[in-house]
Amino acid sequence: MRRQDATKLLLSFLSEQPIVSNLGPTTDELWHLGDRNRNFYTYGGMGLCSSIALGVALSTGEKVVSLDGDGSLLMNLGTLGTIGREQPANLVVVVWDNERWSQTGPQPRHTATGTDLDIPKSTTVSTEEELETVFKEALSSDGPWFIVAKIEDVEPLPVSPIEPEVNLHKFRQTFIGPPIRLGQ
Amino acid sequence: MPIWADRLVQSLKESDISLVTYVPDINIHQATQLVSADPYFHLVSASREEEAIGIAAGGYAAGRNSAVFMQSSGFGNCLNAVGSLCLPHRIPLPFIINLRGGVGEFNIAQVPLGRGTKPILDVLGIPHFTLTNEDEVEPVVKGAIKLCYASRSPVGICLTAQLHGGKNA
Repeated sequence: MRRQDATKLLLSFLSEQPIVSNLGPTTDELWHLGDRNRNFYTYGGMGLCSSIALGVALSTGEKVVSLDGDGSLLMNLGTLGTIGREQPANLVVVVWDNERWSQTGPQPRHTATGTDLDIPKSTTVSTEEELETVFKEALSSDGPWFIVAKIEDVEPLPVSPIEPEVNLHKFRQTFIGPPIRLGQ
Repeated sequence: MPIWADRLVQSLKESDISLVTYVPDINIHQATQLVSADPYFHLVSASREEEAIGIAAGGYAAGRNSAVFMQSSGFGNCLNAVGSLCLPHRIPLPFIINLRGGVGEFNIAQVPLGRGTKPILDVLGIPHFTLTNEDEVEPVVKGAIKLCYASRSPVGICLTAQLHGGKNA
């Protein structure tokens, strides 16, 4: 599928509904194929296309279409959580996935590896027994692992007396060994 | 509820701002609690400050006046959203920034961006105003927002420990 053809297809179903387009070629193609006052072209703010579209959707009753990109959306995956929480019934997000940062290279991007942003070894646990089982497996087999452990609220402990500079030094020393001092 | 927070939220309302996006801290929570309790507002909890700016920018693009609440550390997270979205598009958003790193600060990690926020706003050409007592909240916030729309530029409205008593208020 070519994005230009796909964009043309989407446009053929739209009348006055607002479109927010991702920066770069998505915006350029949208302009060439169908410039209209209801297009919001993002020229900067990489990653924010669908967040902007969410703001539009929360401010109008019309359907709102976000034409996002895989590289840009990955920069702001948290916005998917916000969209999930807000549940805007009038928002449609389309992610053009060319598996690369096309504007800057192209350099292959995360979806090019066939994982489609998926982490297959992901699980949710809600008891210590479940956590123990999965954590042992995670330590003894290849990952990446992603474990969501459901926890409850408790009274916080006193703030720990950590010196950031000292902490980094000690941590780093465990990897590189003691420093070689001049004159020794 | 603290008087400063009540005056701040009332000033937003009287300035016709009805979409508020935010990433919280304890003092911001004192204000966003009031926003959340008032059906006039729609409050959106964002995952990150640049996202909060994107959502607010979308609201403004659709004709709804919007404001963003964030901590000074979070201001550091969102500089490109300011520089490459708000400024080129001339999107007037009041940034209500809780300025850490001042009197009474106890956390070293809050100091650099607490100190750096206003100089960064200066470099970007974004006017900013600092609130240190509750009597200046209403005139300064309303005046800053008026300037924000007149100039089609973001403005910074900085909250301080002198205003709200800091994290242990």
